[in-house]
Amino acid sequence: MKRHDSPRLTAVVWLVRDTFRQSIAHGIFAVLLLVSALSIATCLSLSVDGRATLRQGNQNPDFISRNEADARDAEKLKTSGVVVADGRLTLAFGAIEVPWARDTASAVHFVQLVLAGGVADTLGLLLTLIWTAGFLPSFLEGRNISVLLAKPAPRWVLLGGKYLGVLAFVLFQSIVFVAGTWLAIGARTGFWDPTYLLAIPLLLLQFSIFFAFSVLLAVWIRSTVVCVFGSIAFWCVAWSMNFGRHIMMTAGDMVSTSVRSTYLSGVIDFGYWVLPKPADLGLLLYNALGAGDHFGSALDLGVLESHGFSMLASVLTSAAFGAFALVASARMFEATDY
Amino acid sequence: MEVRLNAHAAAVFHRVSKVYDGSWTRRRVVALDDVSLEIPWGEVFGIVGPNRAGKTTLIKILLTICRPTDGRIMRLECPYSDRRTLAQIGYVHENLSFPRYLTAWQVVEGYGRMSGVKGNVLRQRTGELLEQVGLADRGHERIAHFSKGMTQRLALAQALVNDPKLLVLDEPSEGMDLTARRLLRDVVRQRRDQGASVVLVSHALDDVEQLCDRVAVLCNGRLSLIGSVSELAGPTPPCGTKPTPPLPDRQQQPVVAGALETAIAPLYEGAIA
Repeated sequence: MKRHDSPRLTAVVWLVRDTFRQSIAHGIFAVLLLVSALSIATCLSLSVDGRATLRQGNQNPDFISRNEADARDAEKLKTSGVVVADGRLTLAFGAIEVPWARDTASAVHFVQLVLAGGVADTLGLLLTLIWTAGFLPSFLEGRNISVLLAKPAPRWVLLGGKYLGVLAFVLFQSIVFVAGTWLAIGARTGFWDPTYLLAIPLLLLQFSIFFAFSVLLAVWIRSTVVCVFGSIAFWCVAWSMNFGRHIMMTAGDMVSTSVRSTYLSGVIDFGYWVLPKPADLGLLLYNALGAGDHFGSALDLGVLESHGFSMLASVLTSAAFGAFALVASARMFEATDY
Repeated sequence: MEVRLNAHAAAVFHRVSKVYDGSWTRRRVVALDDVSLEIPWGEVFGIVGPNRAGKTTLIKILLTICRPTDGRIMRLECPYSDRRTLAQIGYVHENLSFPRYLTAWQVVEGYGRMSGVKGNVLRQRTGELLEQVGLADRGHERIAHFSKGMTQRLALAQALVNDPKLLVLDEPSEGMDLTARRLLRDVVRQRRDQGASVVLVSHALDDVEQLCDRVAVLCNGRLSLIGSVSELAGPTPPCGTKPTPPLPDRQQQPVVAGALETAIAPLYEGAIA
C-alpha cells in the first residue's frame, strides 16, 4: 500500500478541513457568513455624496456643519473662507438618509471604521472567540481523540493542526467580511482605500493570541463552559491591566505618587508586560485605519509614545504570550494520559 | 543488565508498569505492575480479566495513548518511540466516538489519511470497507444518526482502512448485533490468515474461546495466567505466567464452550472490584 510521505502535513490539512466541517455543522459558519452578507448588502445599498471637499492634501480646512445658522449666510461664508460640510449618506438605496457633517471620502471612511472597529473587531471577535471556544474541548474528549492519538502524527501536530484550523476559519470569515464590504463600498462610492484591508491581518493577530489562551484552558480543563467564560474573563482582565497601566502612565499628574508607587502599580505593570494587550491591539487597528480623524480616543498613541510606549514591544510581548500559551498547551497535552 | 527483547514479534512488553499518581481528588492507582508478555506475528492474542485489571491500560500504552511509568516496549519490531509504526496499526475501543458532524465515508477516509493511506487506494478501500461492514448505503449520512452498533461497525472499518499489521480491538463487540459479531469474527480470522496479529480485549469469553490462539489473564494490574485457550481451559491450567510458545500449526485442541470461563472464574472472584 502506498504511504504518504508527510504524515504531519497530512494531519494538519485534515484537521483544518475538519474544523471547517465542524463550524458548518455547528452553524457558526453560516451565522458569520450571514453577518457578512448583511453587511455587504448594506454597503451595496449605500451611497454617499457631498459637494464640499473637506480634505485638501493632508490638511483639513475650517468647516462648519450645514445645520449651523452661519451656513445659510452666503456672504459671510464667502468672506470667511469657511467650508460648509454638507455630506449625505443614504442606506437601502436612498430610503434612509443620514445627514453627515462630512465630505464624501470622509463619510466612506467613517462607514469602514464602523464596520472594521465596531462590527468585526469588537462584536465579531468576541462572538467568534465564544463560538470557537467549544471546538477544542470536544476535539480533546477521550472518546474522540484516542484513535487519533494512536496515529503517527505527534500530539503537538494534532493540537497545532486544530489551532491552525480555527485560525484558517477566522481568516476566511475575516476576508469575506472585510474584502466583501470593501468591494461593495468601492463599487458604490468609487473610494478604494486599501488601508481598510489591514483589518484582516490585525483581526487575525488579535484572535490568534486570545484563542491560544482558550487552547491552554481546553487542554488543561477540557470543558467548553470553562473555555468560553475563561476566555472572556481573561480578555477582560488583560484589557483592564492594559488600559489601567496606560491611564496610570499618561495621567501621572492626576494620580498621586503614593498611589503610583504602591503594590497595585507593580501588579498592573507586571500584568501589562506578561499578559496580551487587547487595548493596544485595538489601538493598532484604530491607528492603521486612521480613525483619529473621526473618533476621540481615551488612549492617544502620540501621548503614549511620549511616555515611552512602544507599539512594537506591545505587539511582540502579546504575541509572545500567545506562543507561550501554545507551547505550554502542547507540553501539557503531550504529558496527558487518556 | 540490559535485556534484549525479541525483535521478531508484533508487540513485546517487558516489565511494564503504570501508576496513576494520586491527587487530592483521587487516590494513587497501580494500573499495571511488572507485566511482561509477547505477541508474536500471526497470532490472535486475547487479554481478559475483571474490570480495572489493566487490560485497556496495557493496549493504550502500546498505542501511546498513555505512557508507561516503567518498562520497555517494542511495537512491530521497532522501538516504542518510533511513531511511524502506528501507521500499520488499527484500533477499535468500546466507547469510541467520532465527530458527529462527519459522514461514515469521511470518518473512514479521514482516519485512513491520518495513517498515511491516500489517493485512489484510499477511496477504493473506503468503499470496500463500508460495503464489508454493511454501511455502504449510509456512507454519506452523518454519523450523528447512527446507532451504537453501527458506530462500532464503522469503528471496525476505520481500523482496517490502513490494512494493519496489528489490529487492536478493545471490547469491539460492545453494542453489536449477531450479524455484526459474526462479521467481527470473520475479520479477525481473515487478518490472522493474512499474517497480521490481532489483540482482542474482551469480556465476551465465548469470542475469546473461538478466536484466540493464546490468552493472557490480568488481575489487579498483574499478569495472572498466560497460555493457549486449550491450556487455560484444560483440566490442569498452567500455573504462573511463564509464556508458552505459540502453537506451531494453530491446530488448537477443541475447547468445550464455557470452559475458559469456568477455568478463570476464580481469578475474577479474587480481584478487587
